[in-house]
Amino acid sequence: MTAPDRVAAAAQARPATAAAFFCSEGLHKRFGGVQAVRDISLNIPHGSVFAIIGPNGAGKSTLLNLMSGLYQPDAGRMVFDGVDLVGVPAHKRVRLGLARTFQKIRLFKQLSVLGNVIAAFHVHHDIPAWQYVVHGAAFARDHARCRAEAINLLRFVGLEARASVLAASLAYGEQRMLELARALATSPRLLMLDEPAAGLNAAEVERLLERIRLLRERGMTIIVVEHNMDLVMKISDRVLVMDYGQHLFAGTPAEVQANPSVIAAYLGAMT
Amino acid sequence: MSSGGGLALAGQSGNRRWWLFVAAVVIAALPLVFQDSYWRTNLIVCAINIMLAIGLDFILGYAGQLNLGHSAFYGIGAYASTLLIMKLGVPFWMAFVCAVVLSGAAGMALSIFAVRLRGHYLAIASLGFAVIVHQVLLNWISLTQGPLGIYAIKPPPDIALPGLPVISFGNTANMFYLVAAFAFLFYLLLDQLVRSPIGETLTAIREDEVSAASFGINCTAWKVFAFGVGSAIAGAAGAFYASFVGTLVPDAFIITESFTILAMVIVGGMGTLIGPVWGAILLTVLPELLRGFGDLRLVLYGAALTLVVLFLPGGLVQAVQILRARFGLLRTAGDAGMRR
Repeated sequence: MTAPDRVAAAAQARPATAAAFFCSEGLHKRFGGVQAVRDISLNIPHGSVFAIIGPNGAGKSTLLNLMSGLYQPDAGRMVFDGVDLVGVPAHKRVRLGLARTFQKIRLFKQLSVLGNVIAAFHVHHDIPAWQYVVHGAAFARDHARCRAEAINLLRFVGLEARASVLAASLAYGEQRMLELARALATSPRLLMLDEPAAGLNAAEVERLLERIRLLRERGMTIIVVEHNMDLVMKISDRVLVMDYGQHLFAGTPAEVQANPSVIAAYLGAMT
Repeated sequence: MSSGGGLALAGQSGNRRWWLFVAAVVIAALPLVFQDSYWRTNLIVCAINIMLAIGLDFILGYAGQLNLGHSAFYGIGAYASTLLIMKLGVPFWMAFVCAVVLSGAAGMALSIFAVRLRGHYLAIASLGFAVIVHQVLLNWISLTQGPLGIYAIKPPPDIALPGLPVISFGNTANMFYLVAAFAFLFYLLLDQLVRSPIGETLTAIREDEVSAASFGINCTAWKVFAFGVGSAIAGAAGAFYASFVGTLVPDAFIITESFTILAMVIVGGMGTLIGPVWGAILLTVLPELLRGFGDLRLVLYGAALTLVVLFLPGGLVQAVQILRARFGLLRTAGDAGMRR
């Protein structure tokens, strides 16, 4: 079975979904001769955890980069809560309620752990312009509020004891948790996690799982790109399987585990 | 190590007021200590260089934009104010404001033009800008008189307050107070900005633009902002330079001037504001102190620079931190206590 055949075989299983919080239709992205994302359509209901899996190079991260605005698609539509996202730059999507973490950790290494979270509060400051020069009452209020909220977020990810150290001196697992805390500082409605469990040990994965569950209980919609199948199967409501940039299969975790084309994509074609 | 944003220092605001007070007293005392015109001239040059260095540090040390065109903004400020005064008869202070605005606008224009450039590419583009500005000053003879230069530029007008003696800026002490007061004000302005969340915003852009954008930071707009503020301060320095020296030639704003300012920032300590102040003072005074060595002074100057860059990549600020860690344990404990 060739890759397009597998896609064709899996295509019937596409879901008919209810009112979508985030949806895309026919997304395409090409880099030179490589079609990184081909005709991807998604429907993500509000308050759900949506996982995107697939072999290395399947286009998962590119898809996430299209959603977060790091790249613009060559074709297709994306709508988030009624707002058309195509053409909207990454920094404006944050104000709409989208936030993300990075697979390759991108902390501000020369800022403290707390400073990293404060920097991520960028869109939420409530300071009149002149008070940036003459720090007045509103400035002090904003400073205290941001600090308190940042400490809360650090407590949520278990880093409050490390607030004053430089981000560069954190251990790897702690850096991943700081990435999460920073993304949460933007108060997102849709949170996109790009391989949040990569490089974490079993205990850290367990803690991450717990945090994602808590966020979901608070009504946050979450997209996870992940290789850790255990984590994907435990937390996601729906799973999209990609291969060669294309939609291979979408369904519940149980359906994904039972689907022969998914197994073939991961283990290599058997027939 | 690097203070980065303002947060790490926020607990030291009591200390900070004390240090600002000390700085004001020192500024007031300096012309009384140095009575001869040679050292007073050096003091004024120091104050001008401090403005240039902290302006560049805001662009380079905080926003992380490798700007090698600072001499151009300096020159634009000097020529704009002088030409407005001498060709159009504009009053000094209005010309001063125009020079500041014009230099700031030039910085913003360069930043917008070079929006996609970073690191080495921005360095080359800004260097090119500095060369262009220098060549224009040199060759637009009908306007700038080119290499012949402009002479007999008047100092800022006297200030006559009722009930007080007239303050004349032909007097080097008064001129120093004026320039130092502005340097002090600009320092305060930048210090307030980097202690506000803008400090974290600019540092975020310096560290990782993609990541910064994912938190809603409009990197282009903030880089333009940083360039605008930094180059406007350079424009003010230029206006004071022209009115103090009294003559203006294009070679005062040759590209090596950009590198001298860059050296002040690096020797002092990039990404801190106090570092470039010390760097500017050291690199203004050191060549003068070494005059006794004749031509050897350039070698000594170069060697000193190289040693700093090799062994103290964090500049003088890092040296102070190392000394504090070694000898001032009690003091460090006190600081930590205040931060709680």
